[in-house]
Amino acid sequence: MSAGGGAALGHALLARGIRASVEARGSLAVLLPLSDPEAFADAAVRDQVLALAREHGFTHVAVELLGAPRVSGTNAP
Amino acid sequence: MDWFREQGSALVGFSGGVDSTYLAAVALDALGAGSVLAVIGRSASYPEVQWENAIALAHRIGLPLLEVVTDEMNDPRYAANPSNRCYFCKSELWTRLIPVARERGLAVIVDGTNADDIGGHRPGRQAASEREVRSPLAELGFGKDEIRRLSRARGLPSWSQPASPCLSSRIPYGTAITAERLARVERAEAALRRVGVTGDLRVRDHDDLARIEMPAESLAGWIDPDRAVVLAVAVREAGFARVSLDLRGFRSGSLNILGGVATP
Repeated sequence: MSAGGGAALGHALLARGIRASVEARGSLAVLLPLSDPEAFADAAVRDQVLALAREHGFTHVAVELLGAPRVSGTNAP
Repeated sequence: MDWFREQGSALVGFSGGVDSTYLAAVALDALGAGSVLAVIGRSASYPEVQWENAIALAHRIGLPLLEVVTDEMNDPRYAANPSNRCYFCKSELWTRLIPVARERGLAVIVDGTNADDIGGHRPGRQAASEREVRSPLAELGFGKDEIRRLSRARGLPSWSQPASPCLSSRIPYGTAITAERLARVERAEAALRRVGVTGDLRVRDHDDLARIEMPAESLAGWIDPDRAVVLAVAVREAGFARVSLDLRGFRSGSLNILGGVATP
């Protein structure tokens, strides 16, 4: 899946009131919430996001957990 | 019971999981401690917590137990992490266990593969069948739900424990498996258990990014910002730079789908 696919999913989410940037990693879409991340606590919202992601070719969707500073120097082994 | 009595003696590939614990308990009842040996294959891909659990279970039911160190990590065919990685791991395991069975005069080697495991992407099955390792639970049609029910009836504490496949199952195909990478996943999952995550749990390793899979019914509670921070900190301290939560929740074989060897 290309970065363009991620951008298209981001636009589709925005059209449904979900503000998130999308990082495409193969068929994994990583969402970075730009507003209320608690929206994803709603199962109906998650189902909607998953359905949109499928339409855009993604098999997996994850939301990045923010709210604490990233630990430096902790990249892949 | 009858199946084991017909064999006379058995070596059980034992992980401490639901299936192999039930299988070993039945073998023990059928054959007695003098004719059964459970063997743990130990390597970096076998979670420490599962090893401790397996030891405790064996002691609890009086199961004769042997540990054999396996070395699949030093097999470049395994470490390269192809989609048939499990074939090389199981080949190593059974190759080491066959001489043990011979030396001790044990008639058959068995594993805990159950009827639900047949089909799907299971390259490890080929390694077993090539070496005449038998799978009585599968052969007799026992599925996971029935094994859990029967385990509970026997008083085995394993009846309710989540499935716990090897740590390499958290690494996407094509990403090299290293001891360091496996240890990082193990630390992250242990940390998540300590902060209260229950049920099926996997930390999938996407290089700098950890993707947490937990039961779908648990997601709402953990997406709360205060609790999400707890998850993020726990996993970052284990060594991941970024942390994410899968919105679909736990899926067995998730990386098979991501790797294109299974359909969503």
